[in-house]
Amino acid sequence: MGELVVVLLRCTDLRPGVDPLTGAISRDPRASALSASDAAALEHGLRIGELLGKRVLAMTAGGPETEAPLREALALGAEVRRVPVTASYLEELAADERALAQALVAALQGEVPDLVLCADRSADRGTGALPAFLAHELGCAQAPGLVSLELTPDGLVAERRLDYGRRERMLVPLPAVCSVEGAGVRLRRASLPASLQAATAAVPVADVAVKPGAVRVVRAGPSRPRPRHLPAPTGTSRERLLALTGALLSHEPPTVVGPVGAEEAADELLDFLVRQGYLSEARTGWAVT
Amino acid sequence: MTDVIVVGAGPAGASAALTAARAGLEVVLLERGPFPGSKNAYGGVVYGRVLDDVLPGWYDEVPVQRWVTRRSTMVLTDTQALTVDFRSTAWGEAPYNGCTTFRADFDSWLANKAVEAGAQLVTSTVATGLLVENGVVVGVTTDRPDGDLRAKVVIAADGVNSFLAKQLGLLPKTDAAHLTLGVKEVLSLPREVIDERFGVRGDEGVDVEILGCTRGIAGGGFVYTNKDSLSVGVVVSIDGLAKSGIRPEELIADLKAHPAVAPWVQGAEVKEYAAHLIPEGGYDHLPELSAPGFLVTGDAAGLCLAAGIWLEGVNFAIGSGLAAGKAAAGHVQRDEPLTSYKQDLEGSFVLQDHKRLRKAPGLVLSDRVQQQYPGMIADLVEGMFTVTNPTAKPGVLTLLRRSAKKHGVKLRHLAADGLSGGRTFR
Repeated sequence: MGELVVVLLRCTDLRPGVDPLTGAISRDPRASALSASDAAALEHGLRIGELLGKRVLAMTAGGPETEAPLREALALGAEVRRVPVTASYLEELAADERALAQALVAALQGEVPDLVLCADRSADRGTGALPAFLAHELGCAQAPGLVSLELTPDGLVAERRLDYGRRERMLVPLPAVCSVEGAGVRLRRASLPASLQAATAAVPVADVAVKPGAVRVVRAGPSRPRPRHLPAPTGTSRERLLALTGALLSHEPPTVVGPVGAEEAADELLDFLVRQGYLSEARTGWAVT
Repeated sequence: MTDVIVVGAGPAGASAALTAARAGLEVVLLERGPFPGSKNAYGGVVYGRVLDDVLPGWYDEVPVQRWVTRRSTMVLTDTQALTVDFRSTAWGEAPYNGCTTFRADFDSWLANKAVEAGAQLVTSTVATGLLVENGVVVGVTTDRPDGDLRAKVVIAADGVNSFLAKQLGLLPKTDAAHLTLGVKEVLSLPREVIDERFGVRGDEGVDVEILGCTRGIAGGGFVYTNKDSLSVGVVVSIDGLAKSGIRPEELIADLKAHPAVAPWVQGAEVKEYAAHLIPEGGYDHLPELSAPGFLVTGDAAGLCLAAGIWLEGVNFAIGSGLAAGKAAAGHVQRDEPLTSYKQDLEGSFVLQDHKRLRKAPGLVLSDRVQQQYPGMIADLVEGMFTVTNPTAKPGVLTLLRRSAKKHGVKLRHLAADGLSGGRTFR
């Protein structure tokens, strides 16, 4: 068993700008923050770390913009470490989550943690596959999509939602990778003195590199099509309804031709089609004969 | 115990922190948002020359959208528009005049200057109150655990609705008569479309100030060009808006639909909507600017110049913030009284402009200027340029009398307002 409870944090702009004309997405690195799931993972990590009496390490994979949440974790008593990833938008689209998991495990520098906590999926374009890759790399159990995580005398008891409102309770053997939903915890805030101290503290950067993905994305279209401009309807709703149904337009009144025989009925129909322009006279003649 | 706590990392707070930190003080800059500027809103033009001395060459690095090289003043009626348009290439070259910028960018940039000077920025932290001992402010309380922070001087730069200044009784609890509400939409448009519609190129931008677009509610409107968006909005008296029962977004919709404005915004999509209170009371309604251990600056001190043709806030916030930081440094290092802050402001453009234009808010927001003059001026000009042959052209005085009568303006009122305007803006 290791000495660490590790919390992996994904930082991203939670409210990216969407250009209403082009659909292009712009992310502001200053607005990088933890998603509700990531914040819940941190809270679970701090709580369980306290209960187990073990060190808590919070890690992010990203650029310097991810250091603000790490400083908050630092102010809350966690150790912090950043795995440097400076991928462009297109590179991120092709990101290989297995390679990321390998880099994160390498950043642990040989330490095997008791428990790894992370969000059930990242807020931007997460697949939710990272926890499984981490469990594979660490060779430990995994319990994804949890809403509660309690340390009991029997061990770590986790709960997750199932379909139709049911829930599943599991005894999770340690070491394990658990991913959590943003629910079921009250988040703590760092004290002001700790925040002041953390604000200027250096954030260690792990000396590892994430291998680029095998797929190379060369172009990405807008996330949604450009909206079409539709002219506003004119007239009242009654007028529009009448125009759509043709209720008050003049039209040919119904003609009662029967009861007649089959030949006469056919002649009537053919005459009608000729009158309406669907058949020519010549074709009618040919058809009748 | 720190030397100075600055509450609010907007232009006033960041400037105060910058000056105090450069003087060698220990400064904590508290910001309630996740980063400076994240919660701030304004119309859209910053006049940055106030930074010439403290940040030489500021224009080479400020996060600018466009440099304003064209300034238009418009008078609108429902069907008419009169525009006085001025442009200068000099405004498009260093040291420039004004620029459009986004506050998230500008405030972050300025706050970063304070941090580089040694101030400590603490974000996502709300100053919830003042610590007062024996009538002297000795610090602030915050919404963080163990959140009391003590300092020799607290500078309140917490915006127009300053709770800290209210706690000390420097600001009234409510003051709708001296506040206006600014609302704006940021409309997305391709850059080349903006260039074509507004007749500008490259980084050139346009500032359009508008009178007569607020359905008679005291106030005005504006259109500013950003790189690939427009800021369109109105600023209206809160009292007038409340009495009218009109929603502010209806006024923006009116403005966008006006025949003179609609071609500019055609095809644009709303990207953002923002609203903000603006202190427009002017010099006669400024609060006390200092108390023992306490200074108030920027919008919190009502230092926003609203004088009709001049609508400036950020430069006054920066000017007052710089003075507040200097006064705090003098107090901490040389035990100078904090009242030197006001004396310093009296000697600078901040209070000189407010004092000289003290009558402007009353004149500009008067019923005649807001409700009668736009129509009267537009009718006068329409009469001058409408060719009514075979009838001979009427004289200008005849037209003036005719349009004044039509809009219920007596010539003696016109003369009185002209005299008053002349005295105000002399």
